[in-house]
Amino acid sequence: MRQTIKKVVKYTGVAVIAFFFLFPVYWLVITAFKYPEEWFQWPPIIIPINLTLDNFFGLKGGVYGHLTTSVANITPYLINSTVVGVVTALVSTAIAASAAYAISRYKIGGMRFVSWIISIRMLPPIAAALPLYIIFMRLHLLNTWWALILSYLLLTTPLSCWILLTFFNEIPREMDEVAQVDGCSPFKAFVYVILPLSAPGLAAVATLSFIACWGEFLLALILTSNQQAQTLPIFLGRYITGWRIAWGPLSAAGIINMVPVIIFSLIMQRYLIRGLTFGAVKG
Amino acid sequence: MYTRLTAKAVPFFMVLPLILLFLSLAMFPFGYMIYISFHDYNLAEGGSPTFIGVQNYLAMFRDNVALSSIRFTLLLVCTAVPIELGLGIAIALFIRGITGEKVIRSSLLLPMMIPSVVAGIAWKMLYNYEYGPMNYFLSFFGIPRISWLGNYTFAQIGIILADVWQWTPFIFLILYAGLQSIPRELAEAAKVDGASEFEITRFIELPLLGPLIGVSLIIRIIDVLKVFDIIYMVTWGGPGSATHSLSYYIYKVGVSFGWDIGYAAAISLVLLGSIVALTTFLIRMLRLKKSLGFE
Repeated sequence: MRQTIKKVVKYTGVAVIAFFFLFPVYWLVITAFKYPEEWFQWPPIIIPINLTLDNFFGLKGGVYGHLTTSVANITPYLINSTVVGVVTALVSTAIAASAAYAISRYKIGGMRFVSWIISIRMLPPIAAALPLYIIFMRLHLLNTWWALILSYLLLTTPLSCWILLTFFNEIPREMDEVAQVDGCSPFKAFVYVILPLSAPGLAAVATLSFIACWGEFLLALILTSNQQAQTLPIFLGRYITGWRIAWGPLSAAGIINMVPVIIFSLIMQRYLIRGLTFGAVKG
Repeated sequence: MYTRLTAKAVPFFMVLPLILLFLSLAMFPFGYMIYISFHDYNLAEGGSPTFIGVQNYLAMFRDNVALSSIRFTLLLVCTAVPIELGLGIAIALFIRGITGEKVIRSSLLLPMMIPSVVAGIAWKMLYNYEYGPMNYFLSFFGIPRISWLGNYTFAQIGIILADVWQWTPFIFLILYAGLQSIPRELAEAAKVDGASEFEITRFIELPLLGPLIGVSLIIRIIDVLKVFDIIYMVTWGGPGSATHSLSYYIYKVGVSFGWDIGYAAAISLVLLGSIVALTTFLIRMLRLKKSLGFE
């Protein structure tokens, strides 16, 4: 009997937890598929029956006019986000891997160097955004992909380096030595032996970087000003400051912003968690 | 084969990109920030920076909004972080042994993985006064509608709630993984000795999780001190300046409403200084140097 009570409590508890953490996302998703009249009703429509794809392809006339997320509108932002995200992820991982290897094998810079790298994380983005704005202004790089890529490199590389450091530390040095005995230079040993071995770590780090860039808001807000370089989060942010907010299209755009991240997260789960726990724990 | 020179050169060149990146994009801006915080430099007024010593810093103490931003940010640290920690641990402990454990773990990834702006949109809808689901669910308990976005206190609670929602999974994931890595033999040995489940948790698992709890505590504190996105999306800092975080206020002062870069830089440095000081203090106090890898 006691076991059954425990079970009931556990399952109710889990249901409550799942509900709390998933409902907001659920709400956003269903709003994207609702007709405008149903976005806000009392009582709120929790289980929608009338579904539509209008919000994705442009509202048919009505009050919201040009505030649509028709494919044409969102594409430039989608492209910007993708380009910036992919480039940053690749470059950041390369730089981080290179440095992490040097630190792991040669202890270059010692503890101080590592602490310095980690302490970059303490920097509030806004504090970096101000001088970066001025620097990019002088270099005429405002509102370009470069401004974002360079800034995001700053944000993602420290964590990537840290995570890869823990990964590399786990690969026994004998591996390097075997390769070098066979005639490889340290660099070659790195590229042909260590990198393939740490492929999961590299993938995790690249994914984390991509996710970070994909959702980054503040720097994009400050450093870009129109769709030439603005990313998806800004597209979403612009709608929220209006008086009449087109919640349906906004939610639809939100889904687009969410979907790649969710897919990546689910695929890379195991490695992501490992990365997030700093490799301190073997997931 | 390679010469000794090459042997030394290789690691140097491998670290070089990272160092260059940081020097140009972090150190240099950092130095510039210090420099400009002692000047009066307003982008809207044009002209060049004029030296004014510590006036920017002094102005902070007379600035009510700056002070209330500091208070709200500290409030967030003192409420959101402990709640996230407590809930995260509780859920991690609670969820063990349930069928579908993996599914729960995967779905709990969601809040922290989705972009903050998307989370902000969702919560902004939930908090709607007339039609929002939050007020709807509250009505089940006979609680009258709350003006989440229009009431000073409730807006603050609203941000705290949204942050807890977003980041409890972070703590949960770390601690859950930590629990997984505790060798079973320990718990089994304790059971043989007659320990109850509760005692196992309290005397074996929690102490072993200590370092991880400490590390996640520090990470969360740093991140909460920097919070911006969720505030921008859900409350726009309002009502009034009720939910201004320090980052948000710096944003307003520096690149949004006022273009007073000098003042914004001064506040930023204060924020950065506080983060560094607090973090160092916590690391020392909780003796976490070893867990972070600084052995």
